[in-house]
Amino acid sequence: MNTMKLLNKLLAGSIAVMLLLSANKGFSQGAEKASLSITLSYFEVNNQLPHISAMVKTKVDGRFKPAAGIPLKLFLSKDSSGTVIGNIITDENGQGFAFIPPSLKSEWKSSKTHTFLATFDGNKKYESAKADLTVAKAKIEISTSDKTITAKVFQLNDTTWVPVKGVDVKFGVKRLGADLPVNETPTFTTDSTGQAAADFKRDSIPGDSKGNIVLVAKVEDNDQFGNIAVEKTVPWGAKFIPVSNFNERTLFATRDKAPIWLIIVSGGIIIAVWLTLILLVQNIFRIKKLGQETE
Amino acid sequence: MENSIKGEQIIQDLLPRKFKTSGRIWVGILVAICLVGVYAYYRQLRYGLVVTNMRDYVSWGIYISNFVFFVAISLVGSLITAVFRLAGVKWGAPLTRIAEMIAVGAIIFASVIIIVDMGSPERFYNLFLYGRIQSPIIWDVIVITTYFFISLLLLYYPLLPDIKILLRFKEKSGPGLHKFYSFLGSFWKGSHKQYLLSKKAINALCVAIIPVAFTIHTVTSWLFATTYRPGWDSTNFGAYFIAGAFLVGAGSVVVAMYIFRTWYHLEKYITPDHFDKMGRVLVLLCLLYLYFNVNEFLTPFFKMKESEAGYLNDLFSGSFALTFWFAILTGIILPIIILLFKSGRKPLPMFIVGIMVVVGAWFKRYLIVTPTLLHPFMPMHDVPQMYKHYFPSWEEWAISMASLAGTMLIITILCRIFPIIPIQETLDEHHETVK
Repeated sequence: MNTMKLLNKLLAGSIAVMLLLSANKGFSQGAEKASLSITLSYFEVNNQLPHISAMVKTKVDGRFKPAAGIPLKLFLSKDSSGTVIGNIITDENGQGFAFIPPSLKSEWKSSKTHTFLATFDGNKKYESAKADLTVAKAKIEISTSDKTITAKVFQLNDTTWVPVKGVDVKFGVKRLGADLPVNETPTFTTDSTGQAAADFKRDSIPGDSKGNIVLVAKVEDNDQFGNIAVEKTVPWGAKFIPVSNFNERTLFATRDKAPIWLIIVSGGIIIAVWLTLILLVQNIFRIKKLGQETE
Repeated sequence: MENSIKGEQIIQDLLPRKFKTSGRIWVGILVAICLVGVYAYYRQLRYGLVVTNMRDYVSWGIYISNFVFFVAISLVGSLITAVFRLAGVKWGAPLTRIAEMIAVGAIIFASVIIIVDMGSPERFYNLFLYGRIQSPIIWDVIVITTYFFISLLLLYYPLLPDIKILLRFKEKSGPGLHKFYSFLGSFWKGSHKQYLLSKKAINALCVAIIPVAFTIHTVTSWLFATTYRPGWDSTNFGAYFIAGAFLVGAGSVVVAMYIFRTWYHLEKYITPDHFDKMGRVLVLLCLLYLYFNVNEFLTPFFKMKESEAGYLNDLFSGSFALTFWFAILTGIILPIIILLFKSGRKPLPMFIVGIMVVVGAWFKRYLIVTPTLLHPFMPMHDVPQMYKHYFPSWEEWAISMASLAGTMLIITILCRIFPIIPIQETLDEHHETVK
């Protein structure tokens, strides 16, 4: 009997220890932080102020999903903590961006390549993370003649710009949602002179009131140069003359601008019906007169 | 009609009668309901439309449902008087005045309820001063005015020969009514020329009222159909509304027939045969309306477009399901089943069916207006939760019930002043039968 009691106590004790251990394991799992993946991109349009864009993702149930609300610190140079571009917080798409501020102009000019750095210090939910991106300074020049667009890609070599061979360039027309390719070829590669040319085959594309459209030549997601683009306005589009029926005779215009057909049809019906009714009222007086004559 | 009924007996039977105690109580109840409605309307004028439960979502509530209901009922004047007359349907003759009285009463309150729905009724005249002919609302104003005028004329012309008879019974009608009859038709001598002019006018009115009646309800349907909302965005609406209007109008005539027949002991004039024939008309109209309902709901249900799904589900199985299926079953399906049997077309079952049709039709009009407004294509942001639900306030109920009571009061007063069944027409028919 005593042996049985002892066995029961041992069993209960073992179960309690097991439960405690498993609970401890559970807590330790809950305290584990998730890791973040940061991707940096470099953008420069029309040789103007460049900006750095960051995309932050985290793995949820085995899939990468955007991480919102992540504070990042951006630096111009990986090795210099004094070159802060700025602090950003990612939006609901896990994205954020910052322009290189004018205060870093001298640091920006001091080198032909820069290695941008993004750091995250970590918080209760995520481990700290960092990412860098090395970009060589480059530019595109665009020229047009006889419905042909030519782009020249240059790279900064110390103090001079030298043509770059073998860079993929896209030519497009700027539209509201995205850039429309100028012809059926998606990309063109620069030759030894750094040139790539494309024929413009969007003749009937609507432009502004003067037929102006904006052409764009761009290098996208290039390992060496990042994203650079240049634009040029040309009068190659069809003139867009806006058609407005404001203040004309329409169904939705003011009362003095009712469509003529509506006035005629409705007026005709109203006159016809009410004329009949007036005659029928007059008929009552005729009947009355007949009655008085009979008297 | 039995040949044994003598001419003088017919006149005595059909002359308007003074109210007895029950009649006075009936009028008293109607007046009391109207007075409560007037007080509620005073509150609406005093404090504004905020006393109603209409808000940004449901801006057309029970008032507009009532308006559509009245316009629908008024169509019966054109059906019984004009369509039957032009089609040579002789048996409908005793029912014409009942139909015209209902039409006049309903159209008056259709106009009144629209003014009630306006936040600032003192600005009503602006509709005429600044109304746009492009707007279906203006078309409705024009058509309702026209229809009201035609209905009055169609009530008045066939009354002329009866007024001559009424003028013979001064002691029975009293000096006040006698004076009124003299004003209305003392000039009617019943000469051949007068008869011809009157007949011509009635025929012209019968021809004119049919397109106007179709227009009044089609235009009323366009108030909805020209508005881009789930449930209203339908090309079926004009025909759907007209079919429903003829049904509820015929149903109301059946109810009135039974009440007048029982109250005034008119069994010799409104016979079971009349009920049987009206039953056949009613079942036809029920089937027609069922057909349009199937058209109206089956195709959207089949497609179940995302933008309309909320509205349709709310009707079929959601918060409006009970009302919806009640209206369909009570107003259409059950009447069809009952009326298919000969015993179902006897006076009492017909009376019950008539009430079912009218009550079902009222709820149907409520369902046309409210659920759609609660499910706009573009939901509003940042509105209080209460805006997304609608149940009329006591003021709205009181005013709406007063408008219904007012319509019945007009019909009651008209049947106190004028013969419910055309006396002269009944006499003519009697003479023809005797010959």
